[in-house]
Amino acid sequence: MVIVLLVISFATFAVFYLLPTDPARMSCGKPCTPENLALARGFMGFDKSWVLQYFDFLGGIFAGRTFGTGPAAITCDVPCFGYSFLQNTSVTDLISSRLPVTFSLAIGAAVIWLVAGVGAGVLSALKRGSLIDRLTMTVTLAGVSAPAYLVGLLGILLFGFTFNMIPVSGYVAFADSPVDWAWHLIMPWLVLAFISAAIYARLTRAQMLDVLSEDYIRTARAIGLRERRVIGKHALRNVLLPVVTVFALDLGQLLGGAVITERVFALPGLGGLMIDAVHMVDLPLLVGISLFSAFLVVFANFLVDLFYGAVDPRARLT
Amino acid sequence: MDRRTFLKVIGAASAASGATALLAACNANPATPSGTDAAVTPGGTLFIFTDNTTNLFDPAKSQGLAITSLALVHRRLTSWKIEAGKPATVIPDLATDTGRASEDGKTWTFTLKDNLQFSDGTPITSAEVKYGVERSFAPAFSGGLGYHKTLLAGASAYKGPFDGADLASIETPDAKTIVFHLERPYGDWTWIASTPAFSPVPKGKGTEPDYGEHPVASGPYQVATYAKGVQVKLTRNPHWDKATDQARAGLPDNVVFQLGQQTSVTSQRLIADSGDDKFGFSASFAAPSQIVQIQNNPTAKPRLVTSSSGALAYLALNTKRGPLSDVKVRQAFQYAVDKAAFQIASAGSAELAGSIATTLITDGIAGREVFDLYPAPPGGDVAKAKQLLAEAGHPNGLDNLDFLVDTANDGTAKAEAIQAALERVGIHSTLRPLDDDAWTSAATGDEGAYDLTLSSWQPDFPSANGNIQPLFGTSEIGNGGYNISRYSNPEVDQLIVQAQGTIDPVAAGKVWAQADRRILQDSPVIPLIYTRNSFLHGSKVAQFVIGAFPSYPNYLQIGLTK
Repeated sequence: MVIVLLVISFATFAVFYLLPTDPARMSCGKPCTPENLALARGFMGFDKSWVLQYFDFLGGIFAGRTFGTGPAAITCDVPCFGYSFLQNTSVTDLISSRLPVTFSLAIGAAVIWLVAGVGAGVLSALKRGSLIDRLTMTVTLAGVSAPAYLVGLLGILLFGFTFNMIPVSGYVAFADSPVDWAWHLIMPWLVLAFISAAIYARLTRAQMLDVLSEDYIRTARAIGLRERRVIGKHALRNVLLPVVTVFALDLGQLLGGAVITERVFALPGLGGLMIDAVHMVDLPLLVGISLFSAFLVVFANFLVDLFYGAVDPRARLT
Repeated sequence: MDRRTFLKVIGAASAASGATALLAACNANPATPSGTDAAVTPGGTLFIFTDNTTNLFDPAKSQGLAITSLALVHRRLTSWKIEAGKPATVIPDLATDTGRASEDGKTWTFTLKDNLQFSDGTPITSAEVKYGVERSFAPAFSGGLGYHKTLLAGASAYKGPFDGADLASIETPDAKTIVFHLERPYGDWTWIASTPAFSPVPKGKGTEPDYGEHPVASGPYQVATYAKGVQVKLTRNPHWDKATDQARAGLPDNVVFQLGQQTSVTSQRLIADSGDDKFGFSASFAAPSQIVQIQNNPTAKPRLVTSSSGALAYLALNTKRGPLSDVKVRQAFQYAVDKAAFQIASAGSAELAGSIATTLITDGIAGREVFDLYPAPPGGDVAKAKQLLAEAGHPNGLDNLDFLVDTANDGTAKAEAIQAALERVGIHSTLRPLDDDAWTSAATGDEGAYDLTLSSWQPDFPSANGNIQPLFGTSEIGNGGYNISRYSNPEVDQLIVQAQGTIDPVAAGKVWAQADRRILQDSPVIPLIYTRNSFLHGSKVAQFVIGAFPSYPNYLQIGLTK
């Protein structure tokens, strides 16, 4: 896992720092004279070659960094994943301040879509060809194809303005008021869930149909097990394996920031942070967030591997 | 200003305060009337919605205008007086007057008003103003408007006050007097003194990188809470004295910035006009698609305020490249473009896009002279353009021009409109779309490998200097400079030096107007339109005035009705 992350960090660094842009220019001021630019570059450490900067970056993770000298020097504490000169904060602090928002958004949405998606999938598979099946599949088709931007804005228009039921934007910390927290997040949750649940419903349905035609299901039925037990224990357990795999990866990705949903609902999460970083050419921040998102996906993968071992004896190494 | 600069200006810009009876009378904004007829009363909370996720109040790092958010918290030596339909004028702020120049124009003296205090109750003296300016030189706090950095004597080697050095060219003979010694005569120093770096900072403060989240205030408001990415709340500064401040009305009790608000959602909220949104306005301008919706809504329509003028949008011709180095060829472009089509491509209609431009100096700048060296219908004069091209030895037009396009803000659609117009006279170009940052590198870099490009520009302070020098001075070619037509004319450079060195604003204005004409005779750029900005506010927001310059509302005078 560490090696994977090291490779990713190196690649991210190379990609961003080889771009024909000068991150110091944004901190140079207006008018940007060559002297000011050189000064800004030196202060930010962008005057070195990118390979050297990469080692500074790695060093900062374990030893912290200091920019400039004297009383106005900026220190970036361990673990220092870079310093955003445009936001005047270390990348570590920025990410940790945004994480609760994205975490709230992702977990809530994930619970909804998993329950709704798998539930709908199982139901469709069991009532294959029925009206419910067709209806579910039509709705999920819409979910798969609709862009988050459109669904979000429609949701805001309908429930926020027309019915005036929910707040249209903003975020309230869970610690401040759990009720307001949920109330502000319910719409973003539903939007994300609507879009993602569709895939799970379709996946679950297909898997379920597959599994139901397996010999051991027929056997289970033949020995007189109740249908509830056949589906709930024997079938679902096998259906869930691929679903959980996809789920872990999706969740890992979502924790890295739901860019569009966050933007539409003015949620100050990681996705918004990344968009800002892109707009402002804030390279240290971009590298930091990319690395963090990569870490989440890698970590989710790792968890899935462990989970496989626990659920499916065939996947164990020993 | 380019797009990123705009973002910064808006970011560093937003807030409000009250108005005098005089300004209340200026509700007769020529483009659209604003607000309600109800009486404005002090108090209440003004909400400002911005799509930016940061809104810091660090004067050294700010590129904000003198009438937007930063100015709610920080006063400078001078400020701007904004009235609808009139040019902006300079007024005293912390100083008793707008500065006194020496005979040679190289020394400027300001005297501070009596009894000025910071929000912590300590007195504001000349030492704090000097320290504030010095602080802007520190590399840790660079990024703001830095015109003073190139003008103060001996400043090029100065790196800020934090290693103990002070800048000898700023003298403070006593607590109320501050003297600036410049490298060369500079008449616009009175405007430079209104830029953010001329805000006082208590000596020894402002060493921490997040000073902008809890600065020591000198204006009507102080930062009460700064919730990163969510909101900033300003409350009254008890030590601000209205009697000493003619720029700020300071009407609302609180100002709340809601950060990271998506513009289209903000528009819907302001159209719906319910709850707190009645007391708010959007710091981002309304997009054309939203404007259509607003204009079809009878309750929202009166609350949309459109500037009468704005930034100059222009087509730049790279004067260093092939046939474009021939002035006759460049003049042909003046007739070849279709400014009416450009208006449509920009905002869907001429009314929303802005009026047709023929001069470089923009509306609202004192001393501007209106003229048109290349009179033609809005759609252009194809025959005249062809004739000029033929005279220049290109009867069949031009081929393979490289048209650099900044894709931000519908840049491609605008470029396509220009490209199609040029095709009419046989000028064939290929669009090369780049994202904003790559465009900036290509257009302002040293190499200059392109033929045509589109841009727009609004001065940072209300002087023709800001229209002309950054775009046409030889010193501004490459190296990050915005002379993207790479135009260099010793005669014009001479006029720029002469105008900058002229202390009397009326006399300087005449020289700038002369430079405007002289440059356009050489036709390095084609003025297209003066772009308009539209802003939407809630029904309880009043005295929401946009002057002829800048094309942003004056936050300092905004008040609320009950």
